[in-house]
Amino acid sequence: MRLDEGMAEQDRRAGAENRRKLAARRRWAKAAAVYVLLLGFSLLFVGPMAFAMLSSLKDNPVEWPPRLGSPQLSPANWVSAARLGLAGGGTAFFGQFAPGAVVPFSITYEVDEGGEPGTPIVRVPRRVPGAGPAAIIAEPFAADDAVVSEVREVGRTTTEGVVRVTYEFDIRHVGSDMVYGKLPLDIEVPMYQRFVRATLAPNRIERLGRVQSWNNVTSGVIPYVFYNYHRVFRENYSRATGKNLFVAWIRNSFMLAGIKVVTTLVVASMAGYALARLKFFGRNALFNLVLFSMMIPGQVTFVSNYLVLRDGIFGLTRLFGGGSLINTWTGYVVSTMVGGSAVFIMKQFFEGLPTELEESARIDGASVLKTYSRIMLPLAGPALGALAILTFQGTWNEFFWPLVILTSPPDKYTLTLGLLSFRTTYAVAFDWGPMLAGTVMSALPIVVMFIVFQRYFVEGISFSGIKG
Amino acid sequence: MKRVKRVVTLLTAIVLTLAVAMCTGAAGADVQVRIAGFGGVDLAIVEELIAKFVQPKLKGVKAVYEPIADGYDRWLVNSLSAGTGPDLFYVDIFWSRGLFSSGAVEPLDSYIAKSKMLKTTDITTSLLNAFTYNGKVYGIPKDFNTLALFYNRDMFDVAKVPYPDESDDWNTLTDKLRKVQAGLPGVYGIALAPEYARMGPFAYAAGFSVFDAKGKSNVIGSQFREGFEFYTGLAKKGVGIMPADIGQGWGGGAFAAEKVAACLEGAWIIGFLRDQSPNLNYGATLLPKNPRTGQRGNLIFTVSWSMNAQSKHKQEAFQVLELLTSPEAQQWVLERGLALPSRQALIDNPYFKSADKEAAANYIVFRGASDGNVFPFEFAAYGDDWMTPINQVLSAVMSGEQTVDVALKEAQKRLDELMK
Amino acid sequence: MRAHGVSRAWEKAAPYILLAPFIFHITAFFGYAFARTFYFSFTEYNLFASPRWVGLQNYVDLVRNVQFGRALRNSLQFAVIVTLAQTCLALILAVVMNSRVRGIRFFRAAYYMPSVTSSVVITLIFMWLFQRGGVINYLTTKFIEYRAPIGVFIACLVVIQVLLVLRDRAGGWPASWFEPAFLLMSAVFSFVLVLALQAARIIGPNPNVEIVRTVWLNTRQTVPGWAGSLAVPRPLAAIMMLNTWTTAPTMMLLFLAGLQDIPRELYEAAAVDGAAPAAAFRHITLPGLRNVTYLVLSMGLISTLQMFDQVAIVGEQAPRESVITLAYFIYSNAFPGSAVPRIGAASAAAIVLAVFTMVLVSLQKRITRS
Repeated sequence: MRLDEGMAEQDRRAGAENRRKLAARRRWAKAAAVYVLLLGFSLLFVGPMAFAMLSSLKDNPVEWPPRLGSPQLSPANWVSAARLGLAGGGTAFFGQFAPGAVVPFSITYEVDEGGEPGTPIVRVPRRVPGAGPAAIIAEPFAADDAVVSEVREVGRTTTEGVVRVTYEFDIRHVGSDMVYGKLPLDIEVPMYQRFVRATLAPNRIERLGRVQSWNNVTSGVIPYVFYNYHRVFRENYSRATGKNLFVAWIRNSFMLAGIKVVTTLVVASMAGYALARLKFFGRNALFNLVLFSMMIPGQVTFVSNYLVLRDGIFGLTRLFGGGSLINTWTGYVVSTMVGGSAVFIMKQFFEGLPTELEESARIDGASVLKTYSRIMLPLAGPALGALAILTFQGTWNEFFWPLVILTSPPDKYTLTLGLLSFRTTYAVAFDWGPMLAGTVMSALPIVVMFIVFQRYFVEGISFSGIKG
Repeated sequence: MKRVKRVVTLLTAIVLTLAVAMCTGAAGADVQVRIAGFGGVDLAIVEELIAKFVQPKLKGVKAVYEPIADGYDRWLVNSLSAGTGPDLFYVDIFWSRGLFSSGAVEPLDSYIAKSKMLKTTDITTSLLNAFTYNGKVYGIPKDFNTLALFYNRDMFDVAKVPYPDESDDWNTLTDKLRKVQAGLPGVYGIALAPEYARMGPFAYAAGFSVFDAKGKSNVIGSQFREGFEFYTGLAKKGVGIMPADIGQGWGGGAFAAEKVAACLEGAWIIGFLRDQSPNLNYGATLLPKNPRTGQRGNLIFTVSWSMNAQSKHKQEAFQVLELLTSPEAQQWVLERGLALPSRQALIDNPYFKSADKEAAANYIVFRGASDGNVFPFEFAAYGDDWMTPINQVLSAVMSGEQTVDVALKEAQKRLDELMK
Repeated sequence: MRAHGVSRAWEKAAPYILLAPFIFHITAFFGYAFARTFYFSFTEYNLFASPRWVGLQNYVDLVRNVQFGRALRNSLQFAVIVTLAQTCLALILAVVMNSRVRGIRFFRAAYYMPSVTSSVVITLIFMWLFQRGGVINYLTTKFIEYRAPIGVFIACLVVIQVLLVLRDRAGGWPASWFEPAFLLMSAVFSFVLVLALQAARIIGPNPNVEIVRTVWLNTRQTVPGWAGSLAVPRPLAAIMMLNTWTTAPTMMLLFLAGLQDIPRELYEAAAVDGAAPAAAFRHITLPGLRNVTYLVLSMGLISTLQMFDQVAIVGEQAPRESVITLAYFIYSNAFPGSAVPRIGAASAAAIVLAVFTMVLVSLQKRITRS
């Protein structure tokens, strides 16, 4: 009897032990499965952007097959670019071609056995840009002062019927005072001679493989690795004002988003409070109008709004000596200073607050305006924070309305419009390098902001949603 | 609490200050002539023209260029309708008719009659006619472009095929392209964009004109069909390829990437090649002749300087216009290889005789305007809408989705709807 | 209480003072604008001359306009498909996200990234991915190339999983078909097996696979082929994928908040009663999310019906009629570029768009509520 009980007890204990182990294993396995899923989804959501970022460094981002790596990501090329930058008389990061510079260069070719490799013809070309403002401005050519030494064969190996030959030469700056920004290079060989490698990977191979061509041999690391980014800045500036357009677009977007955050917070909190707590004639009608306005697309009302701005808001701007508000930031800010959804969010938030504080303030004789500004507004911190983030994000990304009213000059554009003009300059010519570089750079500020203020972003979404 | 209020007050003050600052603009003593045109290279060219040839000869007038980087046509219509339009502006022949008919553009006849510098006889006639509407001149052409056949000399050399030349007709050219393609694996004969802007010249060569006597378009007739069949036939035979099919946006891109032996483009390709493929060994020749008619066709792409009908400084604006199109200014533009100017006398310029590959190509494009059945690139007030059905069926036929019969019938139906 | 009367009047005016800027804004830039659009839709107007009354002519013309028909059709297809797709994806994401594991904040941030960046940036990146020689076609090619190993892997996984579960059930343990511990084990086993088979050259990538060169943007083809007149133009389908991808994370956050509002006790009670997880999902989760679902669907419909950015950015790289939406139709008629504005036609189309939005949203409301 006692023995049986003991056995049963043992059994039970062993069973419980087993079950606990099993449950632990399940928990562990479930967590692992969830992580696998989560990682898979991460790849889906972050992968395309990460790959775009990597590809923005490539000379040709539409290569086939697409690869993760590129010469710009190879440390060997960084070292060469740095050495060449130093050899050219500049720094390792930003190179140049200065008096006294001696730039050593080596290049390797292969031919099938039986063919005699021809000595490469090395040239420092005089290249005039064909597009952009640089096509007009005559810049000095490095070719004026550059002398290419004799091309020496320094090594020859034969393996499996293929002859590999390496040549060396150097380029000297023989002038006395001119410092050149860049040193372009062309090397030409006979048709049957195949390019293998060089001190620095060439930017393009032309004439059916006959010519290897470099934009700037002594660029240094930064312009070499970030060539596309460099182009974005170099090729986009306003010749009228000399300002860099890309920088101007970023600044405009920041400024407009900042101003709109302020106007939205002020106007929406006032209106939201009134709608939530005060009784006045037409309250329901106004609220319904707000709901209705949230449903109607901007394309329905834009023609009239365009005309309103064109005519200076029923001629009101004339009073201040202004005219049409088309193509002005004032017009943009006035026409978008608050949205129906912002008022809606604030109203819902104020309705959710307890009424006691407010009532006691009213009993103490505080006026409505005072109650709003001294009691309610300070309580609205979280909603204001979330609304600020939502507004900032919305303005930063807004496309349609700026497209309609901000058309000229280009230094008035917001970043989204600037990117659209990029599309017409680069993407149409399938020149995806600067295009991707521009998109990556314009996404960075908002992504950084998102990482810092993640909590508010998420709260903002929940505010606009759940409370509705 | 106080802090919140202070911050709000401060921010509001900043907003107000900014708003006021943005409203008020500076006013100068000189009369300002505002000029608007494209961005990019045009920006640099026009500013250089103003600095070199315009501003030094003006007293009390200041010329300012406003470049529009994207959507220039839309911007122009909007600003003209808003009454904030520039005094002088570019008008592309393509959308000129709608604008001229709206009354927003000032006819120039009376100004030209009084002018000493500008005579209508100086300007290439076909260009000036392109900007004449209802018998009035609405714009002075600033430069122009036509299409030429650009070819890659290296590829023809390697394949041991003679270069295309001016004696080629449709058949002999097809033959040469086919041989080059056979001699070079991975290379196509010619890049063919599915666009009327490239196919049109072949229809013109066969005798097609956009509008018949009744003002209607007939694209199911034999003349259009001949050009259409030749163009799409090149693609169907595999000699031609649509640039998008080889990952390129336009013929120039495919040509620069050495994926095609030839392409049909204008002088705009020259600057592009200089940047993208500086060592490319290319040549250019006139478009091939139609074997039946023995004629070539071509399109003229041109842009004019036109004047705002609501401008407050019309005399000054015309003065600037005269200087912008002066012989010296146009000669400078030509010799820098920037554009082909509209003055007839410049055909004798020594630039055209130089051995440079760019000058040679420019000369071919210049001559394209006066050889065969040449029409400006415009479709009355229909603009883009006229081309849309044609472009749609071009790409459908070239990618094998439709037969020529079905395609042309569909295009005709849509054009009839449009011209109802 | 000095100046009692003044103060009272002041108090009465207070709501209007607080509301003044907003009322000005919503009246001038919404109410007036809407009314004016309605008026313009009955006129012929080109911004130069003053509007001329033409009655219903604009609406009659719209019905006959081929481009408008396409725009309407594209918009409806886009709205319905994208709204459904993004809602489903968001729900799945939210359910996965709702499990209590460490580092969920990191994943939430990662998923939300596409929603933060602007539509212009995302569309440009997508245009690049969808190039003819782009990444999407490359991945498809690779998938076809490795079809045999992938097939073997999946078959193995299913077989091993079934065996493991059956063994457990025979032993008296109530194992579910999707038991995660077994899934992981089967996956590892199958992977090793496929590697071994590949090393032994029994299966391997197909060496003669033809490179996939699907044209995503510059084509008039419709997908899927069997759908007949319901098929979607391929460029539009690409934009649909893009839009689902960018908006699903936002919707996920809404669902997540909704899920966290459902009391845990309900699930515990269900578990005690022996309800399967699927049943709990159907009887607890879905009803608990009804309000959120209504909201997500409404927001989805409203935003998809006004899709404009992607069409404008893709521009000439896709045939206009394959991607045109109502919103873009309105814009391109108001500012046609190469011709004078057709404000009347644009306004009539705008009114149609407004009506469609309202009808679809209220229809959707009725369906979710029942």
